[in-house]
Amino acid sequence: MMAPFFKYGMFGDEVSLIVAFIIGIGFGFFLERAGFGSARKLAAQFYFTDMTVLKVMFTAIVTAMLGVYYLSIIGWMDLSMVYLTPTNIMPQVVGGLLLGFGFVIGGYCPGTSCVSAATGRTDGIVYLLGVVFGIFGFGEVFPLVSGFYNSTLMGQVTLPQFFNLPYGVVVFLVVVMAVSAFVAAEWGEKNMAKKAEAKK
Amino acid sequence: MKNLTLNKKLAFIAIGLGFIGLFLGNPYKGNLVSMNTTELGMIVESKVDHVSVQDLADWIIQSKMDFKLIDLRTEQEYNEYHIPNSDNITLTALEKTSIPKTEKIVLYSEGGIHSAQAWMLLKAKGYKGVYILFGGLEDWKDQILFPKLSETATPEQIAKFEKTKEVSKFFGGTPSVGGTADVKTETPKMEMPKLDNQSGNKAPDGAPKKKKEGC
Repeated sequence: MMAPFFKYGMFGDEVSLIVAFIIGIGFGFFLERAGFGSARKLAAQFYFTDMTVLKVMFTAIVTAMLGVYYLSIIGWMDLSMVYLTPTNIMPQVVGGLLLGFGFVIGGYCPGTSCVSAATGRTDGIVYLLGVVFGIFGFGEVFPLVSGFYNSTLMGQVTLPQFFNLPYGVVVFLVVVMAVSAFVAAEWGEKNMAKKAEAKK
Repeated sequence: MKNLTLNKKLAFIAIGLGFIGLFLGNPYKGNLVSMNTTELGMIVESKVDHVSVQDLADWIIQSKMDFKLIDLRTEQEYNEYHIPNSDNITLTALEKTSIPKTEKIVLYSEGGIHSAQAWMLLKAKGYKGVYILFGGLEDWKDQILFPKLSETATPEQIAKFEKTKEVSKFFGGTPSVGGTADVKTETPKMEMPKLDNQSGNKAPDGAPKKKKEGC
C-alpha cells in the first residue's frame, strides 16, 4: 500500500469525494476548536495580541511536512505523485496581498468564513456570500486578467530546488523557523498584554 | 522533562525529527526529472534512435551483442515467441530497472507505440543510448521470419532475396516466393518458429560473415 492512495488507484472518483468530505469536516472541526470561527480572534493576529493563527498554521505546516517527509523516506508514500501547484510569482504575490487585505478588513479567510457561517455567525455568512460573489466576479473578468494570471510562471518549484539545498536541511530549517516563531509569538503576546494592562 | 509543558515537549520532538532529517536525504528518490525537450525533439526528428529489423538480425547473426535487447510485451506473449537474446521487461518493470545508464538498449514491442513510450521513459531517467526497433515485432515477422518475394521481382530483388532467405532460415522462419511483395496481404496462419529451434546468437556454419556495421 502506497500513498497517495487515489493516484495509486486504491479508490475511484466517488470514494475520493467521500474521503474529501470527511477530511473537510475534520478540517472545519479543528479550525472551530482552535477558535477560528471568531473574527475577533482572527483579526487579533494582525494586532499581535493573539498569535493563535500563526501558531496553529505553523504547527499544521510542520506536522504535515515532517509526516510527509518521513513517510516518503520509509517508503510508504511517493512524494513525486503529490500534486504541486505551479508558481506564478507575481500574480500570487498580488493575490496574497488581496487575501491579506480581505482577512484584516473582514476578519476571515475563505476557510474560516465557512467555519464561521456553519456556526451561524451573521458576519461569517455575509463574508461567505462575498466570497461566492467574488468567485463569479472573477470568472466574468477572467478574460481581461488572464494574461497577468498566467504570467511569471516558475513551474512546480519547491524550497529545496529554489535554494538548491538538500531536502533534509530545508526540513530542519523550517522546524527551527517554526519553533523560533512560536517563542517570539509567546513573548510578543506577553508584552502586548502588559502594554494593554498599562493603558488601562 | 516533567516540568515541560505539552507544547514544549512537542516542540522538542519536532526539532529532534527535523535534526534527524538532516541526515536522511531526498524523499523524491529520483522520480522527478527534468528533460531537455529540444534535444529530445532533435533526436526524434533525425530518427537516429531507430534500428531496422535487418540491422538487428545482422547484429544477432554476427554475435554483436554489445547492447541489451528488451521485449516490452507481456510475459505470456514473450513466452509464445520472442527475438533471440531478448529480455522480457514490461513498461512498469522498466521504471524500476537497474540497467546501468551507460548501457546501449534496443526496445521492441508488437508495433512501435510501447517502444516509443518506453524510449521516452528511459530518456527521462537519463539513459544515453536507447534505440527503438523500427516496426517492432510486426516488421520482424514480415521482413525477417516470413519474407516474400514477388513473382514479378527484378533480378536485383531476386539476388537480394537470397540473403534475406538465409537470414530468415537462421531465425527459423519460412521465406516464400510468390504473391505481391508490395501489397501487405493478411498473412495466413504462419507457424512461428519454436523457441528451442532458434539458432540464437550462435553463428551457424557457413553463415555468411558480414562486415561489421555501426548502428
